[in-house]
Amino acid sequence: MKFVCRVWGVLLLGLANFSVAIAQERTAVKEGFELSANSGKRILLFRPAISVGAQSTGGMFEPNADWTDKARLNVEMALEKRQKSLGNGIIAPPEVFGEQKRLAEEYTKLFGAVAQAVVRYQFFVGNRLPTKKRDNKVGVFDWSLGPGVSDLPGAKDADFALFIYNKDAFGSTGRKLFQLVAALGPGIAVKSGEHAGYAGLVDLKTGELLWLNADAAMGGDVRDVEGAEKRVKQLLEEFPGSVPTKAKKP
Amino acid sequence: MKWIVQFSLAVSFAVSASAASKKKTVPAPPPPPYAGAYQPQGVDEIGLWREDDERERKLADSPLLIRDESLNAYVRNVFCSTVGLDRCNSVRIYVVRVPVFNATMTANGTMSVYSGLLLRARTEAELAAVLGHEFGHFERRHLLERFKASRKSTDLLSWAAVLTSMSRSRQLYQSFDMLQFSVLGNYYRFGRNQEREADILGIGYLNAGTLLPQAASRVWRNLILEAEASAAARGLKKPDFDRISFFSSHPSRGERANYLYALAAPDALGRGEGAERYAEALAPWITSFLDDQIALNDFGASDFIIGRIAESGWTADLWRVRGDLYRRRGHQRDLMNAADFYSKAIKLNPNLAAAQRGLGLSLIKTGRKSEGISALEEYLQLKPNASDAAMIRLTISSIGEPK
Repeated sequence: MKFVCRVWGVLLLGLANFSVAIAQERTAVKEGFELSANSGKRILLFRPAISVGAQSTGGMFEPNADWTDKARLNVEMALEKRQKSLGNGIIAPPEVFGEQKRLAEEYTKLFGAVAQAVVRYQFFVGNRLPTKKRDNKVGVFDWSLGPGVSDLPGAKDADFALFIYNKDAFGSTGRKLFQLVAALGPGIAVKSGEHAGYAGLVDLKTGELLWLNADAAMGGDVRDVEGAEKRVKQLLEEFPGSVPTKAKKP
Repeated sequence: MKWIVQFSLAVSFAVSASAASKKKTVPAPPPPPYAGAYQPQGVDEIGLWREDDERERKLADSPLLIRDESLNAYVRNVFCSTVGLDRCNSVRIYVVRVPVFNATMTANGTMSVYSGLLLRARTEAELAAVLGHEFGHFERRHLLERFKASRKSTDLLSWAAVLTSMSRSRQLYQSFDMLQFSVLGNYYRFGRNQEREADILGIGYLNAGTLLPQAASRVWRNLILEAEASAAARGLKKPDFDRISFFSSHPSRGERANYLYALAAPDALGRGEGAERYAEALAPWITSFLDDQIALNDFGASDFIIGRIAESGWTADLWRVRGDLYRRRGHQRDLMNAADFYSKAIKLNPNLAAAQRGLGLSLIKTGRKSEGISALEEYLQLKPNASDAAMIRLTISSIGEPK
């Protein structure tokens, strides 16, 4: 019997893949943090985590190296353009080796863990960390990577660090056909494609997380230049100091 | 109905397993010619390699890595002399500090060798057997094949699920159940057959090399003995080492031990194993790997491993680690034994601070306060700047007046 349950479990896991359709987007800014437009701040951009591929009929991620390479180039260019229009300068971290490189990698991982915790425990209601219960008020956004970030390579020449995570899985032809049949036949809603990402800004003096934007369903095809610009615009939505974008919103 | 499916699956597994082990009685063939500098082909393989490249970047900066040059050079040297220089250039080896018996290979040729494997292997030939097996996965592009198999299986099951739910006929639902068993069973069996294929390739390298190929079988026999020791210490039933469960990713240990022995070239029995070279290269590491192992809280297995290493002679460090193992479990009877082991360590090396510390703490807990305090004072004298010096001083002063 247990055996049978396990098999069902495996199948359900697979199905859950396409039944969840979170079209949610959340942004938070640290209380009291303001960045006026054209303040000329320097932002250290850590190597964005970007992976682009296709989604198989069964929902598996099929990595595509060519798309990933294109996306990396396009997104980095679009980021620089966007920040320039906000009056900030993007600088790349210096090439480092050994201990310094490991430190940068550790902080990238730490940022990933903290960002996940924010998304899971603060952005979406229902999951609350016991130690963070008091912070769950509107306007409270209190997360930090610790003051050790000031030792990061390149931290002395910059004000903030920007971390970007982006994952795209474009629905394959098989997946789209499957979506259609599932909708027309038994009426099951199958999601085709996944376009998720988050971006965060960290104060390089104190390690505090200043701004975080997470989006589980974004637009823009990162494989071409215009699409990447649209994507970056969404990733940096409500970025501190981006008043013009806010005003345009309906 | 369902148990019939289970039963027939079990029978077919048993048959195929025994057939496989009967078939493979000839020694494994030497490895086929190798083209070298292989580049990935097609969108799937290039994509998988790119993902692995990204992961490898992270691994290269991981705090888990053991970066000691001589240890890395030694493992690489064993690997290269096993598979040959033309093959070994396509692989980067990373020694990771994880106290589990394992080694892994990715599609792009990133090999991780776990410290738990280095602790358990006793000879160069045993290490070479595992490294050769991992390279077998790379040579045959197993990860790409597995990716494709898993995609095919999930595609098929997805279509079947949607089409079945359209029909609403009871019979079709039942057929869908069957199909699931069949697809999943096939997928896992496919994985196990890849492992068998990698085993054959691995032993092929050993047969063609200069080390004793029979050592490959011993790796698995030793793991079986370790698992038995672990089960015995917990009072559990002896595990069945021939059983393959439905979701097993690898063939059973018993099966592997058997066919690896059969595949080893019989005329190679006189070859050496490189036990001394291995012991010399690993000597600076064994104690810290043992410290990691005893933290796993697997008393039987840890005691078994310590005992096996001690076959070549007890050292002060080995007695100290064994003392720590017993003191960690911490029953009063364990503390008596621990104190005995620490004393033996001190007899061999009176300057071993960790043994003095363990001895002191064990003695105090078994009521021999004054002897315990003097051992702790000895510890503080040997290691005045120990990170726990303040705590030990507090222990001494709270128990009684220092002498």
